[in-house]
Amino acid sequence: MKISSLKRYVAAGAVVVVAASPLLLLAGPSSADSTTTTSTSTTTTTAPLPTLYSSSTKSVYNTNRQNSGLPNSDNVTTDPTSGAVTSYGDSAITYNIPSSSLLNTGEELYMQNCASCHGTEANGVPASGTSGAFPNLVGLGPATIDFWIESGRMPAANPRAVQAVRGTGKLSSEQAQAVAAWVNSLDPSYPGIPTPNLKIANVSNGAALFALNCAACHTIEGDGDALASSTYAPSLRNIPAFQVVEAIRTGPGNMPRFTGNLDDYQVNDIVKYVTTEIQHPNNPGGFGLGGLGPVAEGFVGLALGLGLLALVGFWVGERE
Amino acid sequence: MSENHEHRTPVSLSGLSPDDPHLQPAARNPRLVERNIAISFLAGIILIVVFVYAYIINAKPWTLGITLGGGLTLFGIGLIAWGKYLMPRGPFVEERHKLASSDEAREAMANAVVVRGGSVIKRRKMLGGLLGGGLGLFSLAALLPLLRSLGPLPKQTLDHTDWKPGSYAVDITGRRVHQDDLAVGSIVTVFPEGFENTDNGQAVDQTVIIRISNNDFTTMKGRESWAPKGYLAYSKLCTHLGCPVGLYEQQLQVLVCPCHQSMFNVNDGAMPTFGPAPRPLPQLPLYIDASGYLRAQKDFDQPVGPGFWERS
Amino acid sequence: MSSANTKRAKKQALGPYGKVGQAINELDERLGIAKGGRTFMDKIFPDHWSFMLGEIALYSFVVLLVTGIFLTLYFVPSSALTTYNGAYGPLDGQRVTEAFASTVNLSFAVRCGLLMRQMHHWACDIFVGSIVIHMARVFFTGAFRKPRELNWTIGMTLLILAIANGFLGYSLPDDLVSGTGIRIAYSIILAVPVVGTYLGFFLFGGNFPGTVIIPRFFALHVLIIPLIILGLVGFHLFLLVRQKHTQFPGPGKTEDNVVGTPMFPVFMAKTTGFLLFVGGFIALLSAIFQINPIWQFGPYDAARISYAVQPDWYMGFLDGALRIMPSWSFHSFGYTIPLEVTIPAVIFPGILFTVAMAWPGIERKITGDHAMHNLLDRPSLRPKRTAFGAAVFSFLAMLFIASATDVIANFFHISLNTVLWAMRILCVVTPFITYPVAKKIAEEIGALKGGGKRKTTNVVSLTPEGEYIAIPAPAYVDDEHQHLEPTTVPAFIADDETVGATESTGTRVVER
Repeated sequence: MKISSLKRYVAAGAVVVVAASPLLLLAGPSSADSTTTTSTSTTTTTAPLPTLYSSSTKSVYNTNRQNSGLPNSDNVTTDPTSGAVTSYGDSAITYNIPSSSLLNTGEELYMQNCASCHGTEANGVPASGTSGAFPNLVGLGPATIDFWIESGRMPAANPRAVQAVRGTGKLSSEQAQAVAAWVNSLDPSYPGIPTPNLKIANVSNGAALFALNCAACHTIEGDGDALASSTYAPSLRNIPAFQVVEAIRTGPGNMPRFTGNLDDYQVNDIVKYVTTEIQHPNNPGGFGLGGLGPVAEGFVGLALGLGLLALVGFWVGERE
Repeated sequence: MSENHEHRTPVSLSGLSPDDPHLQPAARNPRLVERNIAISFLAGIILIVVFVYAYIINAKPWTLGITLGGGLTLFGIGLIAWGKYLMPRGPFVEERHKLASSDEAREAMANAVVVRGGSVIKRRKMLGGLLGGGLGLFSLAALLPLLRSLGPLPKQTLDHTDWKPGSYAVDITGRRVHQDDLAVGSIVTVFPEGFENTDNGQAVDQTVIIRISNNDFTTMKGRESWAPKGYLAYSKLCTHLGCPVGLYEQQLQVLVCPCHQSMFNVNDGAMPTFGPAPRPLPQLPLYIDASGYLRAQKDFDQPVGPGFWERS
Repeated sequence: MSSANTKRAKKQALGPYGKVGQAINELDERLGIAKGGRTFMDKIFPDHWSFMLGEIALYSFVVLLVTGIFLTLYFVPSSALTTYNGAYGPLDGQRVTEAFASTVNLSFAVRCGLLMRQMHHWACDIFVGSIVIHMARVFFTGAFRKPRELNWTIGMTLLILAIANGFLGYSLPDDLVSGTGIRIAYSIILAVPVVGTYLGFFLFGGNFPGTVIIPRFFALHVLIIPLIILGLVGFHLFLLVRQKHTQFPGPGKTEDNVVGTPMFPVFMAKTTGFLLFVGGFIALLSAIFQINPIWQFGPYDAARISYAVQPDWYMGFLDGALRIMPSWSFHSFGYTIPLEVTIPAVIFPGILFTVAMAWPGIERKITGDHAMHNLLDRPSLRPKRTAFGAAVFSFLAMLFIASATDVIANFFHISLNTVLWAMRILCVVTPFITYPVAKKIAEEIGALKGGGKRKTTNVVSLTPEGEYIAIPAPAYVDDEHQHLEPTTVPAFIADDETVGATESTGTRVVER
């Protein structure tokens, strides 16, 4: 047995390591970008609205619980002339109704990008045959519209898909808010576009709430997974903070909505947990293997670990 | 060809002359191999020293691991190479001896067991029987402290939960759920009031309330009053293996168990439509009291959770 | 001067082997170790590379023991609740069990703690994996045949104990992922007919979760099962030394001899080196790849659940079986047998391990072969056994893949329902396809002239006439294996009749 044959084993081992290296690509979080833009304005041109929230709310997301995403919160700002609520919230989350100065832009953008599916009056097209409904957008509040557009799911790249996919999106943040402003103006409702105040959030409480409410679909690592009938819970590794609030409060698609069962402080805690621990996981032990758990660990342990050890055993022993 | 190109049959270890080719190292250039092994050992020593330093300065786990692991690995490689290339390369041979003993020895043993043993048993059958029976009884009796002392008898424990008529439904923080709290499409995990922080409360009483509509909802015949104002309550324990069924898809109106993907249709009494779960999730009958709080009418009408023998 | 004389005189008095010889004499007078020691040192070990696989198992077990001892000094096996106030922020202030808190503390606040924990867990994955491939090697080469059936049974028992101990071990930290596994285990126990509820309540001290399961798992995992494993491993190795290792047929190798390297110094050097290597490699693995980050999972709470929870890989086949099982349940006369649980989790592994344990007897019955076998089979020369083993392994591999239905559905964007149905069909069909395919491949390889032997290269050279010719050459220069020929081996040990006699030629006759 010659020494140079040792190089063969080193080379073979290197091949195994290189072959397993795609797994390393799964490791580590991708960077999260948290852009939060809100617009506040106090001018309005719409018809007069009830000055303050009342129990006969116009929101689909109704709840009587204080500080839960509707104007029955600690702070409410109204427009002096029309009395419409322009922003509300508490020290944890502030919700803004987009300014009416955006209405014209919004209408134009809506007609260009959305009306072909959702109709020129935004009241949608009902389900027929095998195609799903293009939903009615009226009365859903600005946060709903803003979430779907800013997460890149709308305008839909594939309208016939079972579930739209997060992407970079066609419209910018300002354009999304303009569209949200216009659609909201058809039947003003809530919740508004949120801005969470992560400084006062408690990440430990967020972890506990996340485990109880969110991990069942999104997994405890926040990677998401396939659900029934070609639906899926998306990964949370790439979502900005305000979109987490929007998703929780409005329950997009198959996601349930959390209105009165979580107040703003709790939602704020969850957002802090998602944007810190999930998007920047603490992996002191080495490569995180994508947070896929024992499946990935088994693969690495068997293929890489046992494979390399068996290869060394091949060197230690004889061939015959 | 080199001087190694010769026939080497396996030889036995004893009686070899010191310059026998079987005792020579396998390496063609032992000095070079020795140098390489020395480098390997030295590098291992250096890594172990670095490990000690890393430990003292409280370095990150990966530093500790790389130094410790690298050091040990290099020692190992060096030692293996030493054994493989520098030690007598053989091959050596050794006879296998018959494992079995000689016929006489076997006969002697059989004789001892059968004749000696048999003479004892034959003559004292009653004693043998009593002893055997007694030891058998003891081995059964020994099961008592070994097994029975471990825990209580199940009795009827699995048949009931802590939901009583009038129990308030509270969330994990202890806050009572009010009829104005949830919007349609919401889900919340609830427990009977007072039990939200107990083991049994969390493990057995856990229930999900889904607001499926703004009006009273009927899942099946006989349950018309069970879901007031569209508040629908099901046991959260999957009937397959007891995982909490916390996954609700509000448009498909299906509860999916995250463990083995059993799917329960929320509209018709949580009937399983897919996956290994055999029975629907038991439904908790709710009512809304005068102050608007959600309360249970009574306990579940069947045992919650996975199946077991006594489950009728 | 006189001291030099005394020194030399002292040295001479020690005899030709010096101080070491003196020490051996002292020990031999008390323990009688010289004869047995020399025999042991002369023992020949065949060193085919596939015989190293069992050593990987042995040495990863050593790593498990050493790192495990470290862990027991820090782990608190208690389900009592405490408030975590340690280094990891997202858990700060949460009420967790002492078991979980001590494990998180071990990972973050104890030097080398995380490294030891990860080494322990990686060593376990490798331990069970190496037992499986070692068992596969033994199976496919027929090393379990007479006289080694007992060793095979011990080995299968070790596999079961290793899997069980692994499950108990990763359940100890009481985190969300492993706690879900304990819940499922409890439900499986309940599903046993007639006695299930009693067994469950006895083991858990009441209904799930109770407070005694973590301490009981600890006692099992640290004390009871390792003791049994240590005892069985010792017996396994003793039998191996007593019956001597098997070897592949080849030049100079017969049923009645062993060809290889002697225990001292060659085998000891190589095997100790391998021990160091396995230990170091596991440390490297633990440094680079994180495993079981329980702080990210959070503590176990019976009302919490995460999607995509998996057991460790060696339990994966059970998880897959549970997923694909249709929801049949037997219910009548006021009693329920939850077949959707009992069949995949109680009956199926019961049959699997019983057949595996009894395999030497089964094969003896099928082949009618009651002879002693010290030479191994080349798998290609026993196509039926090879194909059967391949079919069983392919079935288990399919079950393992079935435990990842949601990962497959997510990765390939297929509906979960479709994936599950596909796995149901695949699991049933795969072994029936694997058997004939593997049998055919084995038969073809077995029939090939020179099959199983080292392939030789063709050396292409240019003749003076300008023609290229190819001449078979040895695999590489100085490949002595080509040149071994079977010759009679000189007798080493005299017959029983001459036990104790010494021949005048000075050949030492050793009693056996």
